[in-house]
Amino acid sequence: MTSLTRRAFMKSGIAAATAATVGITVSQEALAQAKAAEAGWSWDKGVCRFCGTGCGIQIATKGGQIVAVKGDPDAPVNRGLNCIKGYFNGRILYGQDRLTRPLMRMKDGAFDKRGDFVPVSWDRAMDEMERQAKRALAQKGPTGIAMIPSGQSLIQEGYTASKLMKAGFRSNNIDPNARLCMASAVAAFYQTFGVDEPANNYDDIELADAMILWGANMAEAHPVLWSRITDRRLTARTTKIVNITTFANLSSDIADLEIVMKPNADLAIQNYVAREIIARNAVNREFVDRHCVFATGPADIGYGMRPTDKFAFPAEKDVQGQELVHVLDKHEAVGQRKEPGTRVEQKNRTSAGKHWLISFDDFKKAVEPYTLDFVAELAKGDPDEPLDKFKAKLVELVDIYVDPKRNVMSFWTMGFNQHIRGVWVNEQCYATHLLLGKHARPGNGAFSLTGQPSACGTAREVGTFSHRLPADMLVDNAAHRKTTEEMWKLPPNTLNPKIGSDIMAILRDLEDGGVKFLWIQTTNPFQSTPNANHWLKAAREMDSFIVVAEAYPTVTAKVADLILPAAMIFEKWGGYGNAERRTQLWRQQVDPPGEARSDVWMMLEFAKRFRLKDVWGEKAVAGVKADGYPDGKLPDVLAEAQKLGYTPETTLYEALFATADNRKVAWPDPVAKGHGNSTVKALKEGWFVEKALFEEYRRFTVAKQHDLAAFDVYYRDDVRGLRWPVVDGKETKWRFVEGHDPFVKKGEGFNFYGPLLKALPTGNLDDVTDPKPTSLAGKAKIFFRPYAAPVEQTDANFDLWLCTGRILEHWHTGSMTRRVPELHRTAPTAVMYMHADDAAKRGLKRNDVAWIESRRGKVKVVVETKGRNRMPKGSVFVAFFDEAVFINKLVIDASDPISREPDYKKSAVKVYKA
Amino acid sequence: MNDSSRTRRDFLVKGAQMAGAAASVGFIWHALVKSEARASAGALRPPGALAERDFAAQCIKCGQCVRACPYGTLSLASVAGPAATGTPHFEPRTVPCYMCPDLPCTRACPSGALDPALDDVNRARMGLAVIDEEHCLSWQGLRCEVCYRVCPLRGKAIVINTESRKTSRHAVFEPMVDSEHCTGCGLCEKSCPTELAAIRVLRPEFVQGRIGAHYRMQDKASRSGQAADAPAAAPSPRIAAPKPQAAPGVDYLNQAAPP
Repeated sequence: MTSLTRRAFMKSGIAAATAATVGITVSQEALAQAKAAEAGWSWDKGVCRFCGTGCGIQIATKGGQIVAVKGDPDAPVNRGLNCIKGYFNGRILYGQDRLTRPLMRMKDGAFDKRGDFVPVSWDRAMDEMERQAKRALAQKGPTGIAMIPSGQSLIQEGYTASKLMKAGFRSNNIDPNARLCMASAVAAFYQTFGVDEPANNYDDIELADAMILWGANMAEAHPVLWSRITDRRLTARTTKIVNITTFANLSSDIADLEIVMKPNADLAIQNYVAREIIARNAVNREFVDRHCVFATGPADIGYGMRPTDKFAFPAEKDVQGQELVHVLDKHEAVGQRKEPGTRVEQKNRTSAGKHWLISFDDFKKAVEPYTLDFVAELAKGDPDEPLDKFKAKLVELVDIYVDPKRNVMSFWTMGFNQHIRGVWVNEQCYATHLLLGKHARPGNGAFSLTGQPSACGTAREVGTFSHRLPADMLVDNAAHRKTTEEMWKLPPNTLNPKIGSDIMAILRDLEDGGVKFLWIQTTNPFQSTPNANHWLKAAREMDSFIVVAEAYPTVTAKVADLILPAAMIFEKWGGYGNAERRTQLWRQQVDPPGEARSDVWMMLEFAKRFRLKDVWGEKAVAGVKADGYPDGKLPDVLAEAQKLGYTPETTLYEALFATADNRKVAWPDPVAKGHGNSTVKALKEGWFVEKALFEEYRRFTVAKQHDLAAFDVYYRDDVRGLRWPVVDGKETKWRFVEGHDPFVKKGEGFNFYGPLLKALPTGNLDDVTDPKPTSLAGKAKIFFRPYAAPVEQTDANFDLWLCTGRILEHWHTGSMTRRVPELHRTAPTAVMYMHADDAAKRGLKRNDVAWIESRRGKVKVVVETKGRNRMPKGSVFVAFFDEAVFINKLVIDASDPISREPDYKKSAVKVYKA
Repeated sequence: MNDSSRTRRDFLVKGAQMAGAAASVGFIWHALVKSEARASAGALRPPGALAERDFAAQCIKCGQCVRACPYGTLSLASVAGPAATGTPHFEPRTVPCYMCPDLPCTRACPSGALDPALDDVNRARMGLAVIDEEHCLSWQGLRCEVCYRVCPLRGKAIVINTESRKTSRHAVFEPMVDSEHCTGCGLCEKSCPTELAAIRVLRPEFVQGRIGAHYRMQDKASRSGQAADAPAAAPSPRIAAPKPQAAPGVDYLNQAAPP
């Protein structure tokens, strides 16, 4: 707000900013000099390595090195701009401690879990991987093997990983780090629309008259999108920006309205908004009647923690106990129409996602308790703010939403998703927009932003989750398995019908011995996951084999048994998909250093070492129960496999990857325009792996409303990514709406055609009353979801809320950005943002070192009372990029029971002088 | 405060004094102490330093401020240094001033060269940050603004002015320095991610101009309380002054009318 005030600041320039202005005459000599400096450079298009915005860049190479990058002026997302991370895209490849050789823990010439890392050959590394994976299969069956890929994995990497695990090893224990950031959004898309990913796109920013941020500090987390939002605010003066958050941050600087709320109060505020929409008669009846239904589900769904305290630290046991029985506080009681103090057995822990139809009258009754007085008292997050002022803000929020003249966009990221009721808050936001009919229209919509560059393109669309198959298909759906088996030319019932372990479950499986072989790619979960002290100990003490494919030594690499040196983004062919469904592909620009290899190559070489007889015989998988499957088992499919032309001796490489069709896709290919291919070169098989796999994957998407364009199209000089579905060569800007979405017929207006979860029983606010399913084809669901309190509360001992997250300067755990000296200098260490009075109360002042401690661990951190975040009393924020301030190990591993995504935003801590 | 950092600071102090002593072979230490300030634009002084001429006169080059600094920010200038030999200074790109609220360096000064009256580090004026807009990433449209975020007086000493970029649908976030609040601590210069910092701290006298005393800027005037609606000036006094016999210009004025 201050920065919008135009004051006569001293613009003390060393030189006048003349060259920056348009129309300057640049001397011919200067131009010639600039040209000479770029002699021999070759420029090609690429995509920024960092956040989910998906900025286009241009990369210059010379002599096998990236010599420069620039923002791509033709990229519609960023028009030639980048943020400070994007500015260093080319430099992240060249850190001094880049891993270039496989490293294995050895003692006396043999692998030893207690040994030191020693460089070994790729053959030696793969021999040990094969031995350990076969041991895991023999001991535990398919579920003994697990894989953690990433929302930064390339499209082809995700596809290879998913096929290898699900079709090859028949294990659904594959789950990406995207579980930690986007799973709540995904589950809400499924439940609300029956299909994943947003209806709207970034063009809506320039069409909106109000933009409402819910738990999204876009100024730091989506820097270039934020400059678009700011531009809209500056050029269309009536535009309103609302920042709803638990602390004042940089996004507040241009906000017209800032609402600082208590953790989890978003659930209550949204119900207040819904109540007001009805009370003010602002429901778009025509839209709602034609295109929506009302729904709800159970509230006794637990908190995504272990149901037993067997593995809990002593201090954790009190909170963990609530996993099975929770006592309602006074706000929950009102919001759930029950008595305060009611002990609620969490009966729907394992059926948290079930839901049923209710009537509009039930919905109205459900939101009735969420009055302004009730919600304001519950939600006000800054103890120093007068209640009346806070109430006025809530009223203004509703005014903005219901204003019929305003196009309204809601944006959210981790404040919603990393939330013990993350699916619910996502759904509530859709409910607001659907009630108003302000969704899937130009300038109007509820938009889930993504954090990672390919959380959409790889993790979600390819389906590297434990419950997913490509193109929104699910492992526990017989028809989806059948389609996938046919596409992949697998014998019937090869695929495992039981949903596998999500990322948190995989780590817990390490702790309790369920997983024996774990392969981690392009992510650093031992620094990023909550409550990591458990898994750090498990990784080193349990009998397991952990493979980490990495570019740099990270915390995760440190606890591995084998480290594989990985090629980085521009050292291989690949593609990303951003938050607005834009798929962008690039060519390899340079070769990887030393013996580093692409993850695809690693997986294909590994696949050569397994024969169908190793994996497609009968396998025990506890809990399997499906038609065509013996209870607790995956059937032997080797006989059926023979009918498809396989023999028991066929390798997984031949059966899954080097198929006859794929081998026809030859390398070299004209699309390469002289660029190399490190995967093909190392594989020495002559087929264009990345193109063949992309085209194979693309077949899943065509005519499934997910349509991707052909591989070569994305490499055309005039293409800067395309937003799927791409039908008849045309991208789709707005889905589900007539005139924009090719799958919506004339006269329909809107068609929420997503096919999942579209037959529901009927009930009231408490339970199902008529189990007969009703079809909801083409409709979206407006959910009622009640207020629920955070499972861990602040108390006399742990008296502060801790929220963790990102800052603009660093990417995630800092493994790349902290290796760029200039970026390291901008933010060398994570600090604890804290209210000055909270600091003073503890005898602390700015720049002092303090301990921050939770039930799960403690770290030392420098106190910051003045910085970019202005904390209300009672809350602190620490970013998680800094290995030396290992903050996420303090975070509770409570998760949304539907999405299984952990809540990083509300742990109880105490702070004291170090 | 650990031993090694203590040792390092002692070294910084003694090293510079020794270098000074070595350079002054043939002179007496007193002469060195008295050596006049040949300071250049780059030499930034600790918080509370008097105006350069007074500072040079009063600083006894004892190194107490260097010893007191907990961050190793300060050092005594060597012979080839940017400041008069033996006087304390800092280079923000190497180590900036972290603006300790208890001002240990100022308090340690025995000579008054660092003003003992300074009680609020936010009022220190070690220098003034200036931005090279041509090479500032933020001014060129990138989302950087690192200087703004690291500024201990963020929102006062450095503010962001947002302007539409016009050539696309993006805003430009322009960092601007307000001389009224900038202490010259140099955290911005330290953190600037360009190869050579696009924001530098210089001593204010090398950067700031001064408008004439005969004119008051509208907003400056209103800030200093001389608002436009100030009471009207008193009427000029009627004094019966004797008519001068001769006065400058009279000759010309009393000539015949121009042709």
